[in-house]
Amino acid sequence: MHLVELSRAEHSELKINPDLAEASAAKQHLIPIVVSEFRKAATQYPIVFAKNPETGRFAPYVLNGLEPEENLFWSGTKMDVAYVPLNVRRRPFFVGMADTSSGANDNVLCIDIESSCIAASGQKSIVDPDGSDSPYLKEILSIVRTLVQGQEQTNTFISTALSLDLLCPIVLDIVLEDGKPLHVEGLYSIDEDRFRALDKDKVERLWNEGLLDLIYSVIVSTGQIFNLIRLRNERESLNLAWRDNEN
Amino acid sequence: MAHVIRSICIVGGGTAGWLTAGIIAARHRSEDGQGIRIKLIESDTIGTIGVGEGTWPTMRTTLKKMGVSETDFFRECNTSFKQGAKFARWVTGDPSDFYYHPLVLPEGFPSLDLASAWMEYAEKRQDAPSFSNAVSYQEAVCELGLAPKLITSPEYAGIANYAYHLDAGRFVSFIRDHCVNRLGVHHVVDDVTRVVRSETGDIAYLETSKSGQLDGDLFIDCSGFRSLLLGETMGVPFVDCSDVLFIDRALAVQVPYDAADSDIVPHTVSTAQKHGWIWDIGLQSRRGVGYVFSSSHTTVDAALGELQAYIGEKHRSLQPREIKIHAGHRQTFWKGNCVAVGLAGGFLEPLEASALVLIELSAEMIGAMMPATRETMDIIAKRFNQTTQYRWDRIIDFLKLHYILSKREDSRFWIDNRDPASIPDSLKDQIELWRYRAPGDQDFTSNAEMFPAASYQYVLFGMGFRMDTSDLEPASHAGAIEQAFARNESLKIKWTKALPNNRNLINKIKEFGLQKI
Repeated sequence: MHLVELSRAEHSELKINPDLAEASAAKQHLIPIVVSEFRKAATQYPIVFAKNPETGRFAPYVLNGLEPEENLFWSGTKMDVAYVPLNVRRRPFFVGMADTSSGANDNVLCIDIESSCIAASGQKSIVDPDGSDSPYLKEILSIVRTLVQGQEQTNTFISTALSLDLLCPIVLDIVLEDGKPLHVEGLYSIDEDRFRALDKDKVERLWNEGLLDLIYSVIVSTGQIFNLIRLRNERESLNLAWRDNEN
Repeated sequence: MAHVIRSICIVGGGTAGWLTAGIIAARHRSEDGQGIRIKLIESDTIGTIGVGEGTWPTMRTTLKKMGVSETDFFRECNTSFKQGAKFARWVTGDPSDFYYHPLVLPEGFPSLDLASAWMEYAEKRQDAPSFSNAVSYQEAVCELGLAPKLITSPEYAGIANYAYHLDAGRFVSFIRDHCVNRLGVHHVVDDVTRVVRSETGDIAYLETSKSGQLDGDLFIDCSGFRSLLLGETMGVPFVDCSDVLFIDRALAVQVPYDAADSDIVPHTVSTAQKHGWIWDIGLQSRRGVGYVFSSSHTTVDAALGELQAYIGEKHRSLQPREIKIHAGHRQTFWKGNCVAVGLAGGFLEPLEASALVLIELSAEMIGAMMPATRETMDIIAKRFNQTTQYRWDRIIDFLKLHYILSKREDSRFWIDNRDPASIPDSLKDQIELWRYRAPGDQDFTSNAEMFPAASYQYVLFGMGFRMDTSDLEPASHAGAIEQAFARNESLKIKWTKALPNNRNLINKIKEFGLQKI
């Protein structure tokens, strides 16, 4: 990966194939999301919390697989799912921090110039022939804006959940149809017992701050784990069929 | 009518006083006024000793129970990780001579006896790994300067077992603030002018310079070496242990790092000298270094020379502080309605960092055994005294073990330490048993044990103690033992790769904090 600040002049000739953005998530079992995505994400994935390995801080993610580097939604050509998280759709673009002389940190749009999305066969450019931003770039900017704005609300949600002791570690002990045991650690979810034991004032505060919907989204989404198990079992039986053919 | 125990008065605001206050207050819910009321009187004219900078892993549970955040503890107390101790030059005195007493137990301990298997192997092979390296991965982690956990590990949870190095002065203020603001401990800054006893011999109240009379149902003496309540007032005599442990003087100094990002050594380094040993403890912003020695074997000037040679060029700008140590303890620790915790109860020497842990254990025991009434207090006092005496005896044995296994001949200090007349019988007995089998849980059957059998194994076999394995029964589970050695090797590979540099992790903890879960 090689990130550089996007320059409309310098990068005007770049051809980008956005369909390949999803390929970059082929081996991601966790994809970070922001709270404004919870409602849509909950219809497709379990929403879980995990710690950033560099900072130890919690962030929300969609869970794509039952072990590291497994994305059960990756079909080989695309993410076969009704909602693809913004953090996949923005690629090959990233948000970087500019070092300004004033010391203030400004967000700048960066591009990974080593991304496989950049290809001569790509259909999209960042600028139109007249030099204005292309509809593609406008869409990317809108996604990135949603992510940046969502980050602050997401942080608020996480710190509120932590201050109310609402997060708890979850351990997935799963036995697949072929008897293979899977043990998944390092994931966290909403502690439903503690959530239901909150007193009225605290629930009202969550309601006022718009956090109650988010908590319910997470709770409802946990049922999606059964979908992951189903996908995994299908994949295992497919693998088995392949091996049998070879013999 | 029964005299119900409702309030505790602690005298002395050093580490012992505030830790004791915090431990008991957290246990007895003093903060909401429901439980026992605790007040602590400390003088602003009497200083604290404040040298103790090494803890045991027990400190993690102690702080957690008090409701302290480990992140705050790292931010406020110059705290760093301690993964046991490296003992240099204790055996032969050669520059290459060292062994580790790590905090991770031997793999499979206590159900598997790797010690005997290692001994048999080591007798046949010149290239055998050291005992601690063969049975635990922590020496490898320490030698690489790595931390015992990850930034994603929750507060107080470790990958490898760990304790702390801390700045004693900052630690006292940190615990004091927590006790006063969060645990409801009443803080009185004043001098005790007189201790007044009732006709039963109990302490009735304290007279103070400005605050009038301070009463209490139980008085805890944390007044330091002076032992104002237990020693001076209740007249409990001091039992001198300097016939066993010769250290009676310390020269302590704070040594700056070369650079702000210098590595922080993740273990205590204890380097034997001609007449004692030097501790070297890496905090975030400086090292704490000190030479403890026997003043009947050398002079302060000669000791200063050795300390300066150890520190190197930097010593020129440093002013070592001299501290006198009287190795020993009170004959009993709880008399009437007065119990001593910390230096007021006794002190031996800093080897193996037994001072802070004894404060934790004593306060924990007082909190757990808290008598309901004055009438039942004498029963509790008797039990407390038995347990505490047992603990002192075990600490004395374990510390002495380090000296008698040395083969150094370079001074009377080391030779005199091996004089059988200076060795307690209990230790002699154990050594006899261990000539034929490794230390095990059968040797330590009290529920008041201080050091696990594993600690004795690390010191004995680290220092080259020979166990006669010729008559050992063949191990009935050789396969399991092989597997345990192999498991240790794979843990070594795994954690030396995955654990972060010690200073890097401490910096991250200060920046991002550790999560509670």
